[in-house]
Amino acid sequence: MKTKLFFAFAAFCCIFLAYGTYQGLVVAPTEETMGDVQRIFYVHVPAATVAFTLFFVNFLASLFYLWKRSAKADALAATTAEVGVVFCSVVLITGPIWARYAWGTWWSPWDMRLNTTLMLWLLYVSYLMMRRSSTGGSTSVLAAALAVFSFLDVPIVYMANRWFRTHHPAPMIGTPNLDPRMQHILFINMLAFLCFATLICWFRYEMERTAQNIDAAHIQQAAGGAAGMMLLPAMFLMAPGHVAPISYLWGGYLAAWGIYVGYLLFLMNKLARLKKEAAELGA
Amino acid sequence: MSIAKLTWINVSKDLRLEWRSRDVFNSMMFFALVVVVVFSFSFEKEDSRPVMGGLIWIAFLFSTTMALNQSWARELRNGVLDAYRVSPAPAEALFLGKCLGNFILVMLLEGLMAPLFVVFYNLGTVGPFWQLLLVAVLGTWALVVNGTFFAAMSIRTRNRELMLPLLLLPISLPAVISMVTGTTQVLSGEGSPAVQLKFLAGFCVIFTTACFLLFDTVLNAE
Repeated sequence: MKTKLFFAFAAFCCIFLAYGTYQGLVVAPTEETMGDVQRIFYVHVPAATVAFTLFFVNFLASLFYLWKRSAKADALAATTAEVGVVFCSVVLITGPIWARYAWGTWWSPWDMRLNTTLMLWLLYVSYLMMRRSSTGGSTSVLAAALAVFSFLDVPIVYMANRWFRTHHPAPMIGTPNLDPRMQHILFINMLAFLCFATLICWFRYEMERTAQNIDAAHIQQAAGGAAGMMLLPAMFLMAPGHVAPISYLWGGYLAAWGIYVGYLLFLMNKLARLKKEAAELGA
Repeated sequence: MSIAKLTWINVSKDLRLEWRSRDVFNSMMFFALVVVVVFSFSFEKEDSRPVMGGLIWIAFLFSTTMALNQSWARELRNGVLDAYRVSPAPAEALFLGKCLGNFILVMLLEGLMAPLFVVFYNLGTVGPFWQLLLVAVLGTWALVVNGTFFAAMSIRTRNRELMLPLLLLPISLPAVISMVTGTTQVLSGEGSPAVQLKFLAGFCVIFTTACFLLFDTVLNAE
């Protein structure tokens, strides 16, 4: 039953993402000054939204773990941090590709917004390293404490755009400067990517739970889902026929999907290892 | 015993140990000295002012990391940390004692290094000096309080000392950025560091509270 639901959700995500991407690449009006390059926006902003949301879930799960010591909350915290880092990487790679065109430079070293986003990425990478290097039963407690600290920096990152001078475009959602059609399409993409993230998290969470109590049956169920997801990026490469092939735009989309696919490959690899381990244990 | 008295016992014990061996302080001092000398070769005297904020804090940041690692590594020998965990004394007193001990050590280092910066880089403040002092005190506290906490966390991991910079630097990056900006503003007299000071004060309050709330959990993590 769970497997069926998972596949149904995966199919829904495929369609929703395809629709969102089609809207972003083809239907959305072309921006006046930046032209088609601005369409990176439909990958960049949703990825940022997802990353922030996942880090927030990570914070809540960590707090819950500190309170109740539930293994499920720990698995959720590990999952959301890892997937959040993947989405944050997409933000950090698509951003500079856009900036190279719009500002003429990849990175602006004294920009608070850029630095703080990079900092957020560093924080959660160090969180993952911490999980990896701590021993035995203390991992979960130490990681949960670290997650609380990491999240204390998030409001600073979020407010950096408003407090400090920055080149980064100010948030425009809800202001009259943003074309309502663009805003509509942006929301569609945000929702689509949130669904996509939920799907990956679901998959990764099952894996984490499996790793917690090596259970081979569960792993087999999830494996099919990952294979299905591999089709997604292939679809997008073929979908938009008549958009001018601007290299920056393509670069942004390719980089974003390269990361998503790379992460899924990594998960597959990890899954194979877990399966082997489970087989050896005779579970 | 009250928390204040326990804290004082911890601070005086740490300082007495350090005074007798001077292991940590000597290596901190030497490290900071080497950084000052090496960088003084790399920069032209005339244009060093804009980068001084960063340079000063690089020297202090890395020497602080040395002190922090040692302050907990000392407690691991002979199972002193385990003895703390079974003792009825509140963990907060131990944490506060360690923080204050490290804070005194790092402030002392900064005081001794200040004349060297003046000599090697021909440095003086254009802005008011008390603001620089305030940046130094708040910045050092921000580093030390987070550092003491994360050093306690990192000695629980497999990599021990290697883990501390990996945890501490990203967490205190906002503080480091405003320390560097604030210091450069006072040294060059361009702009007032009021925003940075407010930010640092806020950072200190938030992270000190978080450290106190979570230290017991980290100390007893099993």
